[in-house]
Amino acid sequence: MVDRRILKNFDWSLLFVALVLSLIGVMTIYSATRPVVDVEQQSFYLKQFYWIGISLICFFLIVSIDYRWIARSGYIFFGFGIVLLIIVLMAGRRGLGAQRWLDLGFLSFQPSEFFKIFFIMAFSRYLSDMKQEAILGLKDLLKMGFIFFIIPAVLILKQPNLGTVMILLFVFVSMIMTAGVRKKIVVMTIIIGLISVPFVGNVLWGGLKEYQKNRIVAFVNPNVDPRGVGYNINQSKVSIGSGGFFGKGYLKGTQGALRFLPERHTDFIFPVFAEEWGFAGSIVLFIMYLFIVLRGFDTARRARDLTGSFLAMGVTFMFSFYFIINIGMTLGMVPVVGVPLPFISYGGTALLSNFIALGILTNVRMRRFALFY
Amino acid sequence: MRNKRKILIEGKKLWDEDFEGIQLAKSKKRFIIIRTIIFFCFFVVFVRLIVLMVFDHEMLSQKAEKQYQSTKILKAKRGSIWDREMRPLAVNIETDSLYAVPSQIGDTKKLSSQLAPLINVSVEKLNEKFLSKKDKSFIWLARRMDEETSQKVDKLKNDLKLKEIDFLTETKRFYPNGHVAAHIIGYTNIDNEGLNGIELKYDKYIKGKVKKVDIGKDARGNSLSEGTEDNVHGDNLILTIDGNIQNIVEREIENAVETWEAEAAVAIMMDPNTGEIIAMANRPTYDPNAVGDSDADKRRNRAITDVYEPGSTFKAFVASAAIEEKIVSLNEKFDVSRGFIKIPGGIIREDHRHGVLTFTEVIQKSSNVGAATIGIRLGKERFYNYVKKFGFGDKTGVDLIGEVRGLLRDPQHWSGRSLPSMAIGQEIAVTPLQVLRAYSAIANGGKLMKPYIVSEIISQSGESVKKFSPEMEKKVISENTARTMRGILKTVVEEGGTAQRASIMGNLAAGKTGTAQMIDPKTGRYSKDNYVSSFVGFVPADNPKFALIVVVYKPRGARYGGVVAAPVFKKIVENTLVYLNVPMEKEQNYVYLVSNSN
Repeated sequence: MVDRRILKNFDWSLLFVALVLSLIGVMTIYSATRPVVDVEQQSFYLKQFYWIGISLICFFLIVSIDYRWIARSGYIFFGFGIVLLIIVLMAGRRGLGAQRWLDLGFLSFQPSEFFKIFFIMAFSRYLSDMKQEAILGLKDLLKMGFIFFIIPAVLILKQPNLGTVMILLFVFVSMIMTAGVRKKIVVMTIIIGLISVPFVGNVLWGGLKEYQKNRIVAFVNPNVDPRGVGYNINQSKVSIGSGGFFGKGYLKGTQGALRFLPERHTDFIFPVFAEEWGFAGSIVLFIMYLFIVLRGFDTARRARDLTGSFLAMGVTFMFSFYFIINIGMTLGMVPVVGVPLPFISYGGTALLSNFIALGILTNVRMRRFALFY
Repeated sequence: MRNKRKILIEGKKLWDEDFEGIQLAKSKKRFIIIRTIIFFCFFVVFVRLIVLMVFDHEMLSQKAEKQYQSTKILKAKRGSIWDREMRPLAVNIETDSLYAVPSQIGDTKKLSSQLAPLINVSVEKLNEKFLSKKDKSFIWLARRMDEETSQKVDKLKNDLKLKEIDFLTETKRFYPNGHVAAHIIGYTNIDNEGLNGIELKYDKYIKGKVKKVDIGKDARGNSLSEGTEDNVHGDNLILTIDGNIQNIVEREIENAVETWEAEAAVAIMMDPNTGEIIAMANRPTYDPNAVGDSDADKRRNRAITDVYEPGSTFKAFVASAAIEEKIVSLNEKFDVSRGFIKIPGGIIREDHRHGVLTFTEVIQKSSNVGAATIGIRLGKERFYNYVKKFGFGDKTGVDLIGEVRGLLRDPQHWSGRSLPSMAIGQEIAVTPLQVLRAYSAIANGGKLMKPYIVSEIISQSGESVKKFSPEMEKKVISENTARTMRGILKTVVEEGGTAQRASIMGNLAAGKTGTAQMIDPKTGRYSKDNYVSSFVGFVPADNPKFALIVVVYKPRGARYGGVVAAPVFKKIVENTLVYLNVPMEKEQNYVYLVSNSN
């Protein structure tokens, strides 16, 4: 099934970087949740470590299947994903004010994390299947927008999970833009968008949950209520800034372990890392993510076919936006939307879905020279 | 060809060039644009990271430090003050104060209804308090609760495992004897800082060290380390005061003030051999537990802060000087039958008519003319030197706050009448403690001792920090002169003396009365109505164990020291002897004061 030539092109560096990031994640989770005041060490870091193992298995599983089959099955998975999202809304487990988890008894996971992969799979197939001019018209846009974006977005927003919807939106827009949209539509969209900002904004604002509104207020001005909604942002900035150039050293950070920083092992893990490893460590982290993104774009450019190209693009866009939004959020540049940092943030489902995405990327990359029989 | 292109052609290799050429040529451009946008976002994020981590580093570091660093102020426990028998005079009581962390309260209504009845507030009010302070992390619920309340609350807390309420221990200065010895001990303010008396004088010892210890804290305010509280607590003081004798003294001067409707009264008891002050009481007085309720006048320790003209009590010093200088013999006769003596610019009169008196009788019967005559015979310089030697015009150096030196003018400023006037205790202002100390010198064989109140400072762990021992300042008169003087002063309380009312079981006591007119502040002349009546003496006369002075200011109905002050002296001494369990026969008049050194 996998011939030698394909194996020869297996991109170990991509897997290596992802693994290093994951291990940095385990270390940082350990540091962030280490006991300082008479609390036992929480087992987050161990669980994350186990999840790396599970993720690796799935990664190689994904790599071994020809990506064309992956794309082909995209619609089925997409449909399956939609069903899962509906089940979550009806029977999901609530946690942290949102209904995101599906409990299978032995493990619980977030279907929305997998759905992003299903979306990329299905949408890549759709885009590459189109027998039309690459330039998309309004009708196409409305049709695909409704099926691929609006339906899942509404379901995920219901949970609510603003972060995933935003990632989905960015990936969706980036992919259709790459596929090609009439200039007129782009311009019109921008103009209509600008005009309708006050109106739509109002509706959106009204539709937002209280905590979401607070996050936006806090983003605009964190000092409005430094103990309340602005707290996360301020604490995050303080953590990152106090790291300085070389950082305070591993397990020497104060803001995370002393619980000043909320969500310190999940969405706000970067501040914990930056505090301990400083600017120098952060540069290394940046370079590693940049490497993945560059490799991703390179893969998209060199893919043997459009399907591979779109798959690689979708995955790369996804990683890019995760990184930008997460880091931007911790730096106070983006509202707090609850987006984890890929490979590093604690969360089994997220880690698994990231490795699956990486698997797809590696898959496309190593089959770029392959002959199909 | 680029338009309608079905890409999925199996088996066909699409190289990079083909990709660009065949697939989505425009797409490539768009792809590059989007890629550029993404890289730009990376770049912007990176710049922001530089700003935070490099440029804002200092500022944010300080913010971080401020958050997790907390200095714990180790509050020192203020030292206790004990009397010579280790009976508490000033102590700390630890009280429980209850606080809540409103942000952690789940059901405010439930908690309110459980807690309110225990701490005696209404459920509604408590609930309202919780709700209005919802985001606070600390509010007081009840401060300094009594034992019972705090136990009830503690039980509730344990039963329901309430984490949102907790106790803090607060200490409060407490004077178990109330106004007893209030003027000696003084008092503290709400922050436990000494403001008066021993509390102020020895503040640096008993307040302990307030130590700041750097300890970290986490976001919930949990301390990361405790900080040791060793060696911060204040030292304890042991006074020379005997609480029981102090009580007797307080009671008797209280009675005197009531009996004579006096404005004020002072009594001091001292061990003449050591200078230890055994009791010191003032009227009016105050309760140091409620300082705010009294005015400053009542808090004044008149024993050291107020001066008066000593009157006849001063004649003992004239007599001592005369004996020491051998310018009289005990049997020398003084004819005072005229009842007055002319002095430059006036005359000195007798209060009572006497005939011819011996030197001893001059003192015994307190003859003004006789004393003035002896004073003149001594001469200015000699007289002045003795007065000075007896400690007048100087502070006694007692370890209390606010002592004054009194008024003793240099001889060159004296007028013609100064010498005879001073010989009968006028034209000089003294404090009761100065007089008592001078009499103690007569009592102990001529040594002027430095009075003191704190005998030892001991640390919280019981080690001696500082021990005070008797200090002799100077030798005033010889043993012989002192013994002679004691004999003369004994006659004062005998048949024919001015202070028979001070006579105590078999003439155990020796002393001298004093009655001085007060200066009327309006006219600057001696007042006809206002007197200071005093009696100063020591017991037992031959081998004195304690000296005592009683001063009554502005008594009504009587004025003579022998009438007003002497009975107070007598009662104090009698009660003290009973307390000290001294047999009341003349032959076995050994008196032992409880020694501090046992």
